[in-house]
Amino acid sequence: MSVEQLIPIIIAIPLLVGAINGIYGKNLSKNIVGSLATLAVFSSFFLALFVFFNLDEAVKINLFTVMKLESFSLNASLLVDNLSIWMVLIITGVGALIHLFSMGYMSHDEGYYKFFTYLNLFIFAMLILVLGSNYFMLFFGWEGVGICSYLLIGFHYSDAQKGMLNSLAARKAFIMNRIGDLGLLVGLFLILSQFGTLEYTELAAKIKMDSIALDSEFIVAITMCLFIGATGKSAQIPLFTWLPDAMAGPTPVSALIHAATMVTAGIFLVVRSNFFFDLAPTTQHVMLYTGLATSLVAAFIAMRQNDIKKVLAYSTVSQLGLLFVALGMGAYTAAMFHVTTHAFFKALLFLGSGSVIHAMSDEQDIRKMGGLKKFIPTTHLTFLIGTLAISGFPLLSGFYSKDEILGHAFEHSTLIYIILMISVTLTAMYMFRMYFVVFHGKFRGTHEQEHHLHESPSNMTIPLVILAVLSIFGGLLNLPGIFLKKGAHWMSEFFAENTAGLKVIHEHMDSGTTLALMTVAVLVCLGAISICHSVYVKKELLPVEDKDLKGWELASANKLYFDEIYNFLFVRPMEWLSIKGHQFIEITMLNGIVSASTKSIERTGDLVKKMQTGKTDWYILWMVFGIVGLVIYYLLNF
Amino acid sequence: MEILLIPFIIALVALVVPSNFMRQFSLLGGIISLAATSIRVASFNSSEFYAITQECLTNFGLTFKMGYDGMSLFMIVLTNLITLLIILSNYNRELSSNRTFTSLLFFMQFALLGVFTSFDGMMFYIFWELTLIPVFLIAFWFGTAGNKPALMKFFIYTFVGSLAMLISLISIKAYATSFAHDDLMAVQLTAKSAFWIFGGFFLAFAIKIPLFPFHTWQPNTYTTSPMAGTMLLSALMLKMALYGMIRWMIPLAPEALAEMTYPVVVLGIIGVVYAGVLAIKQNDIKRLFAFASISHVGLIAAGAVLIGQDNWTAVFIQMGNHSLVAVGLFLAADIIEQRLGTRSLSDLGGISKVAPRFAFMFGALVLASVSVPLSSGFIGEFLLLKGVFSYNMVIGVIAGTTLVVGAVYTLRAYQLSMNGPAKTAPFADLTWNEWLAFLIIMLIIVSFGVCPQTIINFVGPSVKNLIESVTNTLAK
Repeated sequence: MSVEQLIPIIIAIPLLVGAINGIYGKNLSKNIVGSLATLAVFSSFFLALFVFFNLDEAVKINLFTVMKLESFSLNASLLVDNLSIWMVLIITGVGALIHLFSMGYMSHDEGYYKFFTYLNLFIFAMLILVLGSNYFMLFFGWEGVGICSYLLIGFHYSDAQKGMLNSLAARKAFIMNRIGDLGLLVGLFLILSQFGTLEYTELAAKIKMDSIALDSEFIVAITMCLFIGATGKSAQIPLFTWLPDAMAGPTPVSALIHAATMVTAGIFLVVRSNFFFDLAPTTQHVMLYTGLATSLVAAFIAMRQNDIKKVLAYSTVSQLGLLFVALGMGAYTAAMFHVTTHAFFKALLFLGSGSVIHAMSDEQDIRKMGGLKKFIPTTHLTFLIGTLAISGFPLLSGFYSKDEILGHAFEHSTLIYIILMISVTLTAMYMFRMYFVVFHGKFRGTHEQEHHLHESPSNMTIPLVILAVLSIFGGLLNLPGIFLKKGAHWMSEFFAENTAGLKVIHEHMDSGTTLALMTVAVLVCLGAISICHSVYVKKELLPVEDKDLKGWELASANKLYFDEIYNFLFVRPMEWLSIKGHQFIEITMLNGIVSASTKSIERTGDLVKKMQTGKTDWYILWMVFGIVGLVIYYLLNF
Repeated sequence: MEILLIPFIIALVALVVPSNFMRQFSLLGGIISLAATSIRVASFNSSEFYAITQECLTNFGLTFKMGYDGMSLFMIVLTNLITLLIILSNYNRELSSNRTFTSLLFFMQFALLGVFTSFDGMMFYIFWELTLIPVFLIAFWFGTAGNKPALMKFFIYTFVGSLAMLISLISIKAYATSFAHDDLMAVQLTAKSAFWIFGGFFLAFAIKIPLFPFHTWQPNTYTTSPMAGTMLLSALMLKMALYGMIRWMIPLAPEALAEMTYPVVVLGIIGVVYAGVLAIKQNDIKRLFAFASISHVGLIAAGAVLIGQDNWTAVFIQMGNHSLVAVGLFLAADIIEQRLGTRSLSDLGGISKVAPRFAFMFGALVLASVSVPLSSGFIGEFLLLKGVFSYNMVIGVIAGTTLVVGAVYTLRAYQLSMNGPAKTAPFADLTWNEWLAFLIIMLIIVSFGVCPQTIINFVGPSVKNLIESVTNTLAK
């Protein structure tokens, strides 16, 4: 089968199975529902793998015309190039593993079939997002994954204690994303009005043709709008506060949507639009500094979080910030490399935390865990690998991908490099703090929890093992030049091969500098580990109770008060406007004017009414007045 | 001709049908009129005009010219479909076996169809006024007790508007031989007289839609009317005004567009933001949807006044979408009120736990109303916002905030009533007729969300014709 036939099938399978499960799932057994959904994503993955090996050049597939209007037409068409097929592999590959994991994790849940329906629909929307050949398809998928994310965050909406909180978290995510979506939509309109098309390849060609000046006003406007869209979906300052709240969703959802795939949609958008961003250094700068600030702020907040999922959520935000730093420097392929490795180890960590939560009978507070390594050995080992990978431990995947970004940063400016290093150090610190507190020391939970402690079933541990292997060896995909003469930077070359506008940008550093940077990174990582080890294992210190927090720890634990500030600045004024607007403008003013005008009509009526007294003498008097008036009028006019 | 006659005859027959047979009768009536229309649709060629009356010129210029083109037929189908949906949603309500009510409903359908098929100014005016009677009586006789002040306000408001429209019509007729649409359109107006004629029409339409700041009758009227009345008002009656803008106001006085486009767009968008913000903190779910309606139609009105092939096509797509969503949302509000006796969000909660089918349908509608992909609102809103944006970027971005604000109030309404732990007494899930009504609504919304091209092909040629004749008049 050719690529043209396979790609639509890859997209259609999750949609079809999602529909089947949605309609009939209620009457099917949980095993069938879960296996169907998981199989669907696995088969999409293997088909995608086949396409991956048989793809020589970018292929465009026209499915049908959605709308043919006078000024433009919108096509449902797909673009298969190395960038999109790579994203497909990540989405379906990691997605399939997470589906498998969910079969075990959600096995006691009432809404089992609904969960898998939403999950399949998410895969479908995400595939449309990355495979679409134009911004309209991207927007379609973009909104689609937003809905799935909303439905899955608020999945346990009727829970007795947390139901309303879950719903609120879902709503917050949806609304904050919508703010970004507005930016993206405006960007689309700007592109349409400037270029008359939304097709990536046409746009790239047009931009190449009309040599547009750097930083032209409209290019900056377009890229800024696209970037605003990206800040929403990829949780950057100022639109990042929804992502930690989104942890209200079941853990596999956090792994799939809020770590591995959906939140990287913003990165994908920028990489896809590289031909625009290359022309807008201003936007690149904004992106760089936004990413830098986000990376640092989120890493700082993660230092003193005690909810196992919240730590990982802030870690995701921080890593996404790092990715935007890379994009801001134009290092698209480096960003894509880190997107890939991040998908591996962050999905692993989230699933691992899910396995921990599962074992701990739904406990998420790390202070109530401890010593878990002997109870759940597989989870422990894989979690350790994930932690090492994200901390940039030598030779694991995160080491290479992070190092490439750090290398670019060093070349760009020393200051940026130093700030990034701080954020990287913090990452290693909070990750190992969490790891030691959860897995080492004494068990601090209740007896009941201790009694229930168990390793997860194999359908949960197998995905963990696979992801752990990927987290270890993922770095081989894009080895730096100092290790190999041939075959280095495989991934960068791969993307540049046939993705519109993408070029390979290498760091131009001699191997000495590269080695020096690597050594610094390794030392920092090892230092952080040993500090955490001495504090949390040797001294057996525990995270302090909330009431004892002081200084920076208090600020970190309270998330730097972002939510409070936003409430004060936006939410409450909006509610105030809504209430007061109703009271004053609607009721008092507008209704007031209307009733005043009806009153004045009534009053005139009353006045006229008074003249009709029914007394003849008054009428005669009025008549005389009238005649006299008329006479005077005529006299004056003559 | 049968398109108009069928509802009229049904309205008369309904007066003598025994009341225990009334529900079935009205359902049958609704199906028949929709079926009769579908025959017309099947043999329809979108670039042609189909006359349904013999045109003849009377002494004072009345021509009785009636017929339909793509735009009209779209509105006819919409009217008959929505009427059927109203009957269906009402099927298990007490009102459905009421003779007067049924008769008034079909009379309303008849009058609406008259509005959409009139190609004579005077006929348009007569039918326009005729629609007021049934909807007023439905609201007056079957609405909440004590709704008289609200209704009086509604009546006076729309009456003032209609009067202004009548004056406009008569003044433009002074330059033409008859009230026929073509004759009136061919009239060349000076900028000044065009302004007044445009203004008269605009007042009538702005009140009916309603546009900010002419909307103050709307929330109270919507909330005090019975479900069917609210549905008629929001799903059909306001569409008359949007249709009227495209068919009558702009073609008759295009000379005023240069001056009037900006203020009308601005009013529309103020309404979008203002009503959206006000909807955020409403406690009465029906009132919340009433404000939501003002917010949504503000954008459509802005699109209607931005003359252009794509914008007007988008207006029709979004009119269809809004009608369906409005019927669905008011049905949901009524289901809650019927079952629980309250519409206050503060008293509601956890319904989805006890009524999963209702929760699914209501949820799907809520998503459709925030224009998610695969719903026709996604397409309609995209195109309308694009239209407003190309007209004026700043206004376009302000209009775009509806994406955010709309999500805030709609999701709030849904979550407060449906999510969380069950707070309310037993709640019976959907009856078959309610379920069917929701299902039909959702199916149509999704099918036009996937292929909006059907609507574009349907109304496109007639929109093109109309725009061409307007530009011809302007060019002369």
